[in-house]
Amino acid sequence: MSDLTPRRKTIYPLADDTWETIAARELSDLDTADACGMLQSWNLHVFMRPGAPEGSPRAGNPILPSDLIFIEPPAAPQ
Amino acid sequence: MLDLIIRNGTIVDGTGMPGYIGDIGINDGRIVSTGSIADSAAEEIDATGLTVAPGFIDPHTHFDAQLLWDGKAKPAIEHGITTIVPGNCSLSLAPLKAEHRMKLVGMFNQIEEMPIKAFEEGVEWNWETFDEFITRIKKGLTINVAPLVGHSVLRLWVMGDASMERTANEEEIKAMQALLTECLEAGAIGLSTSFVDMDETLQPVPSRYADQRELHALCEVLSEHNKILQIVHEFYDADLTVARIDQLAEISLKYKITTTFSPLFVNATDDDSVSKVMARVDEQFQRGARVWPQVQTRPIDISFCFEVPSLLFIRLPSWYQVMRFGTHDDIVAAFRNEEQRKQMVAEAETMSPLWDMLVLRQVDSEANQALVGKTLAEIAAMRNTTAIETMIDLSLEEDLQAHFLAANMGHTDDAVVGDLLANPRVHLGASDGGAHILSFSTYGDTGYLFSQFVRNCKALTIEQAVKKITLDTANIWGMKDRGVLKEGYAADVTIFNAQQIDRGDEYYTDDVPGDGHRYVRDAIGVDTVVIGGAVAYQDGEYTDSARGSIVSGS
Repeated sequence: MSDLTPRRKTIYPLADDTWETIAARELSDLDTADACGMLQSWNLHVFMRPGAPEGSPRAGNPILPSDLIFIEPPAAPQ
Repeated sequence: MLDLIIRNGTIVDGTGMPGYIGDIGINDGRIVSTGSIADSAAEEIDATGLTVAPGFIDPHTHFDAQLLWDGKAKPAIEHGITTIVPGNCSLSLAPLKAEHRMKLVGMFNQIEEMPIKAFEEGVEWNWETFDEFITRIKKGLTINVAPLVGHSVLRLWVMGDASMERTANEEEIKAMQALLTECLEAGAIGLSTSFVDMDETLQPVPSRYADQRELHALCEVLSEHNKILQIVHEFYDADLTVARIDQLAEISLKYKITTTFSPLFVNATDDDSVSKVMARVDEQFQRGARVWPQVQTRPIDISFCFEVPSLLFIRLPSWYQVMRFGTHDDIVAAFRNEEQRKQMVAEAETMSPLWDMLVLRQVDSEANQALVGKTLAEIAAMRNTTAIETMIDLSLEEDLQAHFLAANMGHTDDAVVGDLLANPRVHLGASDGGAHILSFSTYGDTGYLFSQFVRNCKALTIEQAVKKITLDTANIWGMKDRGVLKEGYAADVTIFNAQQIDRGDEYYTDDVPGDGHRYVRDAIGVDTVVIGGAVAYQDGEYTDSARGSIVSGS
């Protein structure tokens, strides 16, 4: 079985993940606020989405359990 | 004595082998002989000078609702299509509890742009389970149907409103597994899910609240039944698409199932995107995974008028909000309100120069008829204003019945699209047949394959093109007795003129229940279509044949 070419790293969020919990888990060597900012800029497909409505168990949180979350920036253009 | 013999046609049998002159003998809905047939038949078709191919299979449609009032799925059959796959993108009309009907109608309306009135006036809601739905659509069915079951409706059935709020618990996952099993045993060809779609309130559809445990649990069931998984992914981003390919590949390898994702477009602003995606597909196939990208043949055209919401405006909140949630009068009032109009114009300018290129395609008033066919830039120059202002003015003058066309919005590089279509690891599909009926015609992609990519660009031979939309599709979807003109196979046959087959011009028609309209295209060069051994379409007319069946795959 052949090896895969390395690609931009992603994770699947856990059930109640927020930007903060993902930052703490995946970018633990960075300041949480900085790490959240990075995650958001790498994941505009999630960050630009409206958060879940008030009254929802996920109120305000735009991250969905089926999302793919990038934990590194895009590769520089070749 | 046979039921039907098709004589002297050029048989392009679906395998990709060179065509040859011969006959096809049919009895009891099956092909019983090929070659030179001495026998006679109750009905004979002279196919001299014509190509005789297996019936075309369209793997990505949303004909679910239409099948309830039109068992022919018009105009699919006249384009040579004999088998359709509805239920894509996590949405099927079953299983569906009575209390969730309007929720699902809202989702179909938002995602597939199906008018709510068509459901209200064209659908008699007399099913809940998948089995009951199959029984319902089988009555008067002319076209073959290979139905997917939608992940969002499985969740809705099991979890109710919580399906749109949270992940499922173990008990709910088990219930979904049991429900999926029931649907597959009732005839579903596989499961569809979505990672991108939104419901009528612009919130994510239920399938998007599923975590990995749930998706894998459902794939375990697909594995037990050897059925396919279809997804709609984040097609606008190559990195996300590559990550989804890896996700599908792991599922394919772990559960030994086939997976397919749609759509894959050629993006004019990102030339590397398709090659990056296809490189990953190649790598995953080499590992043994089955991850098929679906590619459509036609370029992206979008038509709209402001009477109905158009996905073209989804990135312009001040427009989309009023189109989606406002009444006719609200939209008119928004355009007439100086302040609101100013804000909308400013927002729309972010998508310039798109508006200059829009073409006015239809108006009601005599006064504006002379402008039909002109671009908004041309009309704006005549009126000494901008294209956006012209679009609003025309809409007000026509009481929102001014129709505009955004042509060739993407997937327009024929050289790249042709290479992609010819790639053996690309699955031809993604027509979206039966959906987006007020935005563009989703019919005629098969004719366009032959006219543009066989005859004009020569990207594929006729044998390769036929194989792509017959045997290849049948193999990918596990339709074991379809896709080839061979003894023992289902007698689904399309007879066409290889030099003429094409899609006709797009036009607006009014054959949707509830006084509804849609964009369609007629077929050109399709002579006869046989489904289940009976002629379903010939010489421009549909017959009364109703030999369509449910194709549930392996």
